[in-house]
Amino acid sequence: MRNLLSIADLTNDEIDEIFDLADGADKLRTDKSAADQIMATLFYEPSTRTRLSFESSMHRLGGAVISCSDMKASSAVKGESLADTARVVSSYADVMVVRHYWDGAVQAMAEHANVPVVNAGDGSREHPTQTLCDLYTLKKEKGELRGLTVVVCGDLKNGRTVHSLVFALARFGAHVVTLAANGMELPHYVLERLEREYGYSLAPVASDDLSGVVTETDALYLTPKQPHQLALFTQVDAAMQSRLNTMVSGLRYDAFYMTRKQKERMKEGTTGGTYPTIGPSFLKEHRFKDTVVMHPLPRVDELSPEVDKDRRGIYFKQAANGVPVRMALLKFLLNRRETKRIAGKRTASFYESPERLGPKCTNPNCVTVTEPASTRRRFELLSGGPGGALLLGCIYCNHRFKVQFVGHVKSKRYCAYDIALADTIRGWLKKDELAIFDSIKEAEELGYEPYKSGPQRTVMDEQEIQAAVREMSRQILRECQDPDRLLILGIRTKGSYLAQRIAGELAAQRRQKPEAGEIELYGAGDEMRRIFPDDEDAPALNLKDREIILVDDVIYTGRTVKSALSILFRSGRPQSVRLAVLIDRGHREVPVKPDYVGKHIPSSEKERVRVKLREAEHDEKDKVVIYSMISPAETQAETIA
Amino acid sequence: MSQEKQILFEKDELGRTISRMAHEILEKAASPGDLVLIGIRSRGVYLARRIARKIRDISKITLPVGVIDVTPYRDDRAHDPDAKTAGALEAQVRVDDKTVVLIDDVIFRGRTIRAAMDAVARLGQPKRILVAALVDRGSRELPIRADVVGKNSDASQGERVNVMLEECDGVDQVSVTRWQSRSAV
Repeated sequence: MRNLLSIADLTNDEIDEIFDLADGADKLRTDKSAADQIMATLFYEPSTRTRLSFESSMHRLGGAVISCSDMKASSAVKGESLADTARVVSSYADVMVVRHYWDGAVQAMAEHANVPVVNAGDGSREHPTQTLCDLYTLKKEKGELRGLTVVVCGDLKNGRTVHSLVFALARFGAHVVTLAANGMELPHYVLERLEREYGYSLAPVASDDLSGVVTETDALYLTPKQPHQLALFTQVDAAMQSRLNTMVSGLRYDAFYMTRKQKERMKEGTTGGTYPTIGPSFLKEHRFKDTVVMHPLPRVDELSPEVDKDRRGIYFKQAANGVPVRMALLKFLLNRRETKRIAGKRTASFYESPERLGPKCTNPNCVTVTEPASTRRRFELLSGGPGGALLLGCIYCNHRFKVQFVGHVKSKRYCAYDIALADTIRGWLKKDELAIFDSIKEAEELGYEPYKSGPQRTVMDEQEIQAAVREMSRQILRECQDPDRLLILGIRTKGSYLAQRIAGELAAQRRQKPEAGEIELYGAGDEMRRIFPDDEDAPALNLKDREIILVDDVIYTGRTVKSALSILFRSGRPQSVRLAVLIDRGHREVPVKPDYVGKHIPSSEKERVRVKLREAEHDEKDKVVIYSMISPAETQAETIA
Repeated sequence: MSQEKQILFEKDELGRTISRMAHEILEKAASPGDLVLIGIRSRGVYLARRIARKIRDISKITLPVGVIDVTPYRDDRAHDPDAKTAGALEAQVRVDDKTVVLIDDVIFRGRTIRAAMDAVARLGQPKRILVAALVDRGSRELPIRADVVGKNSDASQGERVNVMLEECDGVDQVSVTRWQSRSAV
């Protein structure tokens, strides 16, 4: 049995197979390929096109359709779980089509269903059948997907169709140019996956409107990796920048893929800024004469009515293709009901808590949070995050977050995760003896005792920290070229507190508050926001030509800063970036060097330096402590002996 | 455009400097077998090869040399497959758990090295990344440092550091020239 939860569930060959079936949709219709079969549609969120085209497809295949006209009138309101609904509906139908507002909800249902499940959109995650229609339409119009240049524009952050589409285009070797509306750029995890899995590289290029594509775009340009060649677009210097512009103007655009502003998924007050639109001026440009315009519909006002009449506006064709493609997909899945599920398309190691309590996904809209009973708390375990962090990736919503506390199941001991423990923990994981906790409370609830760490010694007290912050602020002000362009950006969370303190010092020294923000390296990893939002409707932080002061509490291997730099350069073109840290403890692994240091504390790799700030610690004063880590492995040996 | 020229290195001194850099790189590595040299196109590549030769002479170890291109991929050549292979990466190097030394001719604002670090991340996960540059001009715009430096230069913003190497320019010479701002035209 096969499901379609993500576009990644299908291989390129299978997608081609579905397209071949779609080409022969008339035959599927006359053959009544799905006679005597029943499709159930469960839509927890409104839909017109997706739902009607699915139902139409099933009818044309000769099958029958059952559905709940309004899920609000279903037993879901009585509190029936997704798992139970999936089990029950499985016995009524041969295939299920589900749309839900929670991230990962369709996957949770698929785990409990006995029939193929198709994701018709889950939260802000994926919408794979829309992607199939998009690819099919592009292929019909342009022949081959490989080598095409597709511009995706508008809301690239919240648009689930866009994420699926970009991955699929990458798989088929198309070039992707992204033209995001201000503050709605592709999330970091999408870029990361493009790089990691498809070898795409990117460069910041910048603009608010499509006519500006030639001279300046706020877009990222991605291109497939050439065999044995690493291509990287990046901002290097002025000469390089002008070449980049030449390059952009020389591009042949095959398609513009517009998206709608996803108002329903945005937080209040983030709708400011301009949104790209396509109108008559676009159609008049000679260089767009063969560029088709696509849109997943419904549209709001991104497309002017002139485009409807033009041969290049193919979005109604795209919507019409929804039926043959979905007919083909249903046929494809129903054909494979007897085949075994292909397991393990990913090779990463999975972590499932051996204890009753364990880590929870930090995405509030994830199905594991909203309805834990229907899910198994399984995570991908990813080492080598910034700063040597150990990350958990939720398999339902792909959200990532940091491991806070680790415990050893047999000896019932726990401690805070530290990079020095990486090897020990890998050993525990292999033997299924690893427990991960979000908090000390959780660990103690299960009867875990802390590993004793060595004696603590204080290396900086409250006054010293205050003096160091003040001195760094003075230096920053002295060395900056234009104080009005300063942007103090803290690395979450302790870096953010220090950034606020520095911003406060600067405000006191020049009687004007500099702009301050924070950068989030975990989770979706693309968050950059203001610390002091003066204005609720303020547009996203603008990095262009800014003098950025990046702030963190401790610098050690330098990998955290390296990740922060990568994110910064994907998000804009700062004039300069300088680094301020309270503590430099040496042991660098990447060539990163702080410009402002509160205190150098040479320490051994077995030691841990902790900055305690009153903003984060309860009833404690500011201080910096150092203690040596006792390796859990050593204490274990002791207890055994 | 150029008015005066100040020579930083001639052939002999360049040879000695490269030799010293090779020694320093060996000193910084925990074990020489861990090292991978990656040259940044194009002069960094010639320097990387020269350093690799030096290290072979010193320690009898032949280090892998990789190439990274951080210049934007030129789209006007995208439809010409020959142009692509002409400057292709010659040797795919393994960087996992290695000490990678990024080698460039001049380090200035730090932007090239930052981009190169991202490019290395795409090859794998090295244990450490070091930077070696023949000339360090200072005036960094990013918090990036060079670990091994041939020579520091205090060339000002309006000056240009020219690294000429036999492999591509027919002569070994490093010089600083002053040039008038083009914006004055």
